[in-house]
Amino acid sequence: MRSFPLLSSCVAALSSFASAELNHSQPLLSKQVLSGTFTPPQVFKNANLVRTTNLDKSYPRETINVIIENVDSKPQSEYYLPFESSLISNVGGFEAKDKKAPELGNFKVEVVEFDTESTTGFYLIHLPSPLAPKAQRTISITYSLLKSLSPVPAQISQADKQYLQYTFSAYTPSAYVTANQKTKLKFPNVDVPDYTTLPSELNAEKKTDPQRQGSTFTYGPYADIPAGASQPVTVRYESTKPVTHATLLERDIEISHWGGNLATEERYWLTNLGASLKTHFSRVEWQKSQYMNPPTTALKQINIPLAPGVLSPYFVDDIGNVSTSRFRPGARESTLELKPRYPIFGAWNYNFKIGWDAPLSTYLRKISGDSYILKVPFLEGPRMPEGVQYSRVNLRVILPEGATNVKFSTTVPLIDQSTTLHRTFMDTIGRTSLTLSAINLIDDFRDRDLIVTYDYPWTAGFRKPMVITLGMFALLAVVYVVGSVDTSIGKKKNA
Amino acid sequence: MSTPLLDVWEAASASPYNPTIGKGSQFTVGAILLLTALLLGGVFSLNLKLVNVPLLGVPASLAFGFGAVYMICAVGVYV
Repeated sequence: MRSFPLLSSCVAALSSFASAELNHSQPLLSKQVLSGTFTPPQVFKNANLVRTTNLDKSYPRETINVIIENVDSKPQSEYYLPFESSLISNVGGFEAKDKKAPELGNFKVEVVEFDTESTTGFYLIHLPSPLAPKAQRTISITYSLLKSLSPVPAQISQADKQYLQYTFSAYTPSAYVTANQKTKLKFPNVDVPDYTTLPSELNAEKKTDPQRQGSTFTYGPYADIPAGASQPVTVRYESTKPVTHATLLERDIEISHWGGNLATEERYWLTNLGASLKTHFSRVEWQKSQYMNPPTTALKQINIPLAPGVLSPYFVDDIGNVSTSRFRPGARESTLELKPRYPIFGAWNYNFKIGWDAPLSTYLRKISGDSYILKVPFLEGPRMPEGVQYSRVNLRVILPEGATNVKFSTTVPLIDQSTTLHRTFMDTIGRTSLTLSAINLIDDFRDRDLIVTYDYPWTAGFRKPMVITLGMFALLAVVYVVGSVDTSIGKKKNA
Repeated sequence: MSTPLLDVWEAASASPYNPTIGKGSQFTVGAILLLTALLLGGVFSLNLKLVNVPLLGVPASLAFGFGAVYMICAVGVYV
């Protein structure tokens, strides 16, 4: 009798083990995401929609190419894209443009939340020109989803393969009726042990869902999906690569007109969001495997490409200078190869600081009179095949003391901007500094520029030497006064 | 994609900013100016007269002011 509870608990434990492969914290249920008080006006219809999810990197990158049609009687220019509230905070680099006319640039996009109680948030895309009734337009929407991959199993051995799990909706979330749609998933390899199979009745062509072709899966096509419909599916695939995540990147760019120098400093708070180690770290096993150089979930080297002409780089962490780094200057590109003090396995952190100098003439030009224009990359940082995701980037452009009338332009979506004073060496009033913050960036934003213009009168430029000059002159004057004081004892000779 | 500021940047391509004293000669200029300041200051301290305050003190101070800025830049603290 006593063995019965034991037996049942064993069976329960075994069954949970068997179902541990697709670890769902919530059951996969179809649901309506357009709940709440606000529903976007049904003025559009998605005539055809193709979503491509690229899982090559350590975060999913989604591209939605959609032909939208105005089904209203008036011209319309506001297109909504819904996301669940839990997901919308992880959406990064959201951009929309005209697929057929990319030269028009990115459309104006904003995050809107009409109902704080609702579980749905929206991205509102403003079309540059209103779409006439019955007219169609092809738009291309791209974004990345940060922190949306979870390692399953969550703990692995040091040399094990890592499997990542991604849960999404087979029906592309949309605030409008979608006449025809499909979702393509691109995996980094063909090792996809688990994926949700949908009933073929849902499929418009009554085929098995998903269709598998090498490392590409296709969910759909689906016909006439109502607005807000969701059909969750989960896939689990092999990705033995680090999931590099910067919780914070602080980046300072300091301009020196006197020195003709652009100094950059970056402070990283890195973490690996991959599977953590099941047992303790074995240095011996690690060192033995390094000869073969197998794929690993540990981040062991960070390559940072820098512009040509970069000088005097440094790599410092909490302990001090890290000598396991290499700087390769080049005519077309310089590379900073950093080896952290230890391989960064899943759930491990590493904080460090790097910096370098560059000639200012490459980045700064004189417009007219006392006005200058500066063009610098918004984000530099590692370029690695598995990609890097940044939760928050704080960029500070420290302009010379006395710079005024600061204006800037960048294509990176910002959440905050301010112009303050930064006080440091040899300053009297403090340097004008422009602080820009962005969240949820990915390494694809490396080539985005930040252009800053400012006025810097020549009188402001002479502030530093003149302050030192006045100080020195005051000292000499004091020396003269003190030296002229008669400190002799006794009667004065000329008296 | 072109933005107004990007056009301004392109238009200014002929006038990159170059400081009066390049990075390569900062140390030389800084050292010469600081030595001049030391020399003039030394001469001034040996001849403490009121007339020497503007005559030697002002050039010594100016040489020290600019020399210090260049020397600070030359040693890597780009002020």
